[in-house]
Amino acid sequence: MRFKKITPVVALLFVAFFSHAQQKANIADPRLHINLPDAKGDSIALSSLKGKVVLLDFWASWCMPCRAANKKLVKIYDKYKNQGFEIYSVSVDDEKRDWVKAIEKDKITWLQVNDPSTWGAKSAVNWNISVLPTTFLINKKGDVVAIDPAEKKLETTIKDLLQE
Amino acid sequence: MVSVVISSPAQFTKASLQATGLTCAMCSNAINKALLQVPFIESVKSDIKNSAFNIVFKQGQNVEIDALRKAVEDAGFSVGNLKMTGNFQELKIENDKHIEIGKEIFHFLNVTEQVLNGEQTIMVVDRNFLTAKQFKKFSSASKMSCVQTGKAASCCVKDGIAADARVYHVTI
Repeated sequence: MRFKKITPVVALLFVAFFSHAQQKANIADPRLHINLPDAKGDSIALSSLKGKVVLLDFWASWCMPCRAANKKLVKIYDKYKNQGFEIYSVSVDDEKRDWVKAIEKDKITWLQVNDPSTWGAKSAVNWNISVLPTTFLINKKGDVVAIDPAEKKLETTIKDLLQE
Repeated sequence: MVSVVISSPAQFTKASLQATGLTCAMCSNAINKALLQVPFIESVKSDIKNSAFNIVFKQGQNVEIDALRKAVEDAGFSVGNLKMTGNFQELKIENDKHIEIGKEIFHFLNVTEQVLNGEQTIMVVDRNFLTAKQFKKFSSASKMSCVQTGKAASCCVKDGIAADARVYHVTI
């Protein structure tokens, strides 16, 4: 009898735990909030992009693998920017000048914000960044659906997410 | 016999460390994190311009150079260059001679006889602290076997150093 009484509680706990584990990171979570200035000094909040498919990208001008990735992102951005796709890049550059120069050189037209002090950057700490570049693909609901998707996977997932 | 080992109250205060590896060392937070775990390290800052980590040591603590190398290697990288800065008081150094700084024994290579005073920076030229090519260049500066092994062994015990003592090879 006692066992029968316990079972629903355990089941409930299990469901609670399971659903918690299934919970996706969402950009509406205050811990993941990013609101940083662009090159002109105007703040842009990541959460303002809800409703779009977003690639959140952490990078720095001195990070050569990031610069190589930028070249590929330029093509993808051009292809999908008019269909509801946006890129929100957070540079952890200490030197604003280097960051601005890299944006020009890499012909970046998507959203760019700066969070100086490299590994001490608050946004990088909150998003638990351990290597540059790190990207997060976010659906229209604001859920993180992929981390560091490879080039091909990135494009197919963007297409799928834009249909949702 | 006159011993060349002189104990000095010198203290290392900071260091500049370059790391090398198959991937971009500055792009990984692993080295930064590993260095911060070293007990005698106060702070670590990325020096992007010089592709180096600027390390500040805790005051009054013994700095073990090998612990810096271990931290970098545990993070999956190697030390490409390590420059140690310290405060010295009337520390006489001679080429190809051993000297005690703090609790460690140092063997100076490619230096002229001089007296170190105030803030000075020395570069570690031991194996695994620079590229193999650079190591070869520096290690040819001494005939003593401790250059190859980093241990005093038979070549240096005559200077009053224990055979198993770690000897760091450095230059200015």
